[in-house]
Amino acid sequence: MDLKKKWFKFVAVIFIPALIFGISASALAAEVKVGALNDVTGATSDVGKDYALGIADAIRYVNDNGGINGKPIKLYQFDYGYRIPEALTKYKLFKRLGCVAVLGWGTGDTEALSPTVTQDKMPYVSASYSAHLTNPAKTPYNLFAATDYSTNARAAITAWYDTRWKKNPEFGKRKPKFVCSYHFAHPYCSAPIKAIKDQAELLGFEVGPDQNVSLVAIDTKSQVLAMKDYGADLVWHGNTTMSVSATVRDAFALGLKAEHIVNCWGFDENLVKLAGKAAEGVFGAPRCAFFGENVKNMDKVVEYAKKYNPGVPLENRTTHTVAAWANTLALWEAMKRADKAGDLTGEGILKKGFETIRDFDIGLGVQPLNYTSTDHRTAGKVSIYEIKNGKFQVVELVDLKSRWPEKWGKEWLGW
Amino acid sequence: MREKSTIFAFLSVLAVVAFMAGCAGMTAKPTDKNFKAPGVTLSHMEVQSYWGWWFYDAKIEPTKGKAGANGSPLVLAFIFNVSNPNDFPVLMEKMQFTVGFEDFDINTQGSSEAMWIPAGKTNQVRVIAVQDPAVTSGSLMVASGDKVKASGKGPMDLIENWWTQIPDFTFPIYARNGSAIFKADGVVKSVPFSAKFP
Repeated sequence: MDLKKKWFKFVAVIFIPALIFGISASALAAEVKVGALNDVTGATSDVGKDYALGIADAIRYVNDNGGINGKPIKLYQFDYGYRIPEALTKYKLFKRLGCVAVLGWGTGDTEALSPTVTQDKMPYVSASYSAHLTNPAKTPYNLFAATDYSTNARAAITAWYDTRWKKNPEFGKRKPKFVCSYHFAHPYCSAPIKAIKDQAELLGFEVGPDQNVSLVAIDTKSQVLAMKDYGADLVWHGNTTMSVSATVRDAFALGLKAEHIVNCWGFDENLVKLAGKAAEGVFGAPRCAFFGENVKNMDKVVEYAKKYNPGVPLENRTTHTVAAWANTLALWEAMKRADKAGDLTGEGILKKGFETIRDFDIGLGVQPLNYTSTDHRTAGKVSIYEIKNGKFQVVELVDLKSRWPEKWGKEWLGW
Repeated sequence: MREKSTIFAFLSVLAVVAFMAGCAGMTAKPTDKNFKAPGVTLSHMEVQSYWGWWFYDAKIEPTKGKAGANGSPLVLAFIFNVSNPNDFPVLMEKMQFTVGFEDFDINTQGSSEAMWIPAGKTNQVRVIAVQDPAVTSGSLMVASGDKVKASGKGPMDLIENWWTQIPDFTFPIYARNGSAIFKADGVVKSVPFSAKFP
C-alpha cells in the first residue's frame, strides 16, 4: 500500500505539473485568426505579389511584437488569381476557419464581397482605395489605411495647378486643358473620374474627351494623338503601371506637350524603370512612401523584406509592399483596441477599434489615420510626389480638408 | 507483497528506460549560430494534369453555364527536395517562388503547409501550379507587356506554344526569386532558392 502511494505520488509529481503547464501553454498560445486574399497569379499579380509579400512580412512583425495583446495572429493567406468566384469561395473558408478580419485585395473582390462583409460584420481591410468605400452608412466594414483614390486625384490635380500651372505664362489668360486616360470598363480605373473632373472644374480647367486605354495596352498612339489634337495641358492616368508607362512613353515620342498625373497603382518604382526619361516630371499620389524611403517604420519594412524574402532582390520591392504594411498595422491597432475593450469580434474591431482611431501615426509616409462612425476617409491631407532624376520626391502636401472645408465635410464623402 | 515489489521494479525499470531514451533523443539547442541553412532544390517537374490546348472567348455560347474567356487549365507540379543538415528537426513554415516560362514571369506559387524535417533528413514537397490561358494572358500583358511586344508574338501565341509543348518540356521553366522560411525552437532562417527545369 505504501509502495502504491509512493508510486502515485511519483506519477503525480511528474505528470500533474506537465499537464498544467501543457494546458496553460496552449491557452497562452491562443491565436487570433485573420484571412488574407491576394492576387499573386492573376491579372493584377504584377503589383499583387509585392503586396502579398508585404502582408506576410507585416504579420510576422506584428507577431514578433506581441500580436494582439499577447495573442499571435494566425494568418491564412490565399491567392484568388483575381477570379471573383474564387474570392467568394475563399471568404467562406475564412468564416469556417473563424477569422475575425480579412486583409483583402483589389476592387474585384472588395466590391463583390462588400454586401457580404457588411452582413457578416467582418472588417475587410483592402487595397481597393475607392472613395465609394469610405461612407460607413453604405459600407461600414470596408476599410483601408490610406487616402482614397478620389481624394488623391483631387490633391494631384490641385498640386499640379498650384506648382505648375500658376507658373505657366498662359496662367490667367486661358483655362488649362485636362483629359483623363483610363480603362473605361474597369472599376478601379473609373472610380475617381467623377471626383477629378469635379475638382478640375472647381479649379477652372476645361475638361476634354476621355481616352479609353486598356489595362493591357502596350500601344497607345491613337489615344495620345487624340490628346494632342485636343491640346491637353494635363493628363490623368487611371491605369496600372504597364499601360501608364506605355502611354507616357508614347506621349514623349509623339511630342505631346501635356504633363501627367497618375493614380497610385500606376505610380510606382516600375514606372521609372519602364518609362525611363519619359517619366521625368510625372506627378502622382502614391498613398504611402516608396520602398526604402526615409520615413518612420520603413526600417522595419526593409528589415523584414530582407529577412523573410531573401530570394527577392530589394530593388524589386515596391511601394505596394509598404501599402500592405500600412493596412496591416492599422488592422493591428484596431484589433488591439477591440481586444482591450474585451470585444475582439468583427463589430468590436470596427466600433471599439477602428472607429476610436484619431490622428494615429503608423509612419510609412501615411498621413495620420482617422476613422469615425460617419466618415472612413482617413485624412484630408495628401502628399503629392514627382519623379525627378529618376527618384520620387514630394512636391506638395495638399490639405483638401482645410482648403475646402465645406465641400470636404458636406459634399465629397463617398464618391 | 512480492507481487507488488515486482510491479514496482518493473515500473521503475520502465521509468529509467524512458528517461534514458529521452536523454538519447535530446538534441542540440538551435541558435542563430548553429542553425545551418536547409537546402531547397528542385528534384523534377511533372505535368500534373493535362487538358491539351483550347480557348474560347465570351462570344461563344457554352452548352451550359456562363459565357466567358475560358481555356484549358495547365496543371504543373514542382517537386522540391528540402534537406535539413542540422542536428535538430526544423519546421518549414512556408515556401514561395515565381514561376517563369522562358523569360516571362507567369505567376507566384508556393506551399504554406507547415512541414517538419527530421535532423539530417530530406523531405519532398510537391507544389501544384495551376495556370489558365485568359489569366496568364492578362498577367503577361500587365506585367511583361514590353517583353511580349519584343518577342514579336501575341500573348496567346506564346501561351499556345507553352500549352502544346509542355508534355515534352521543350522550353525552360523557372522557379525564380524563391524563399523558404524555416524555424527551430523560435530561431528563424530564410533560405533563397531558384531552379530551372529541364
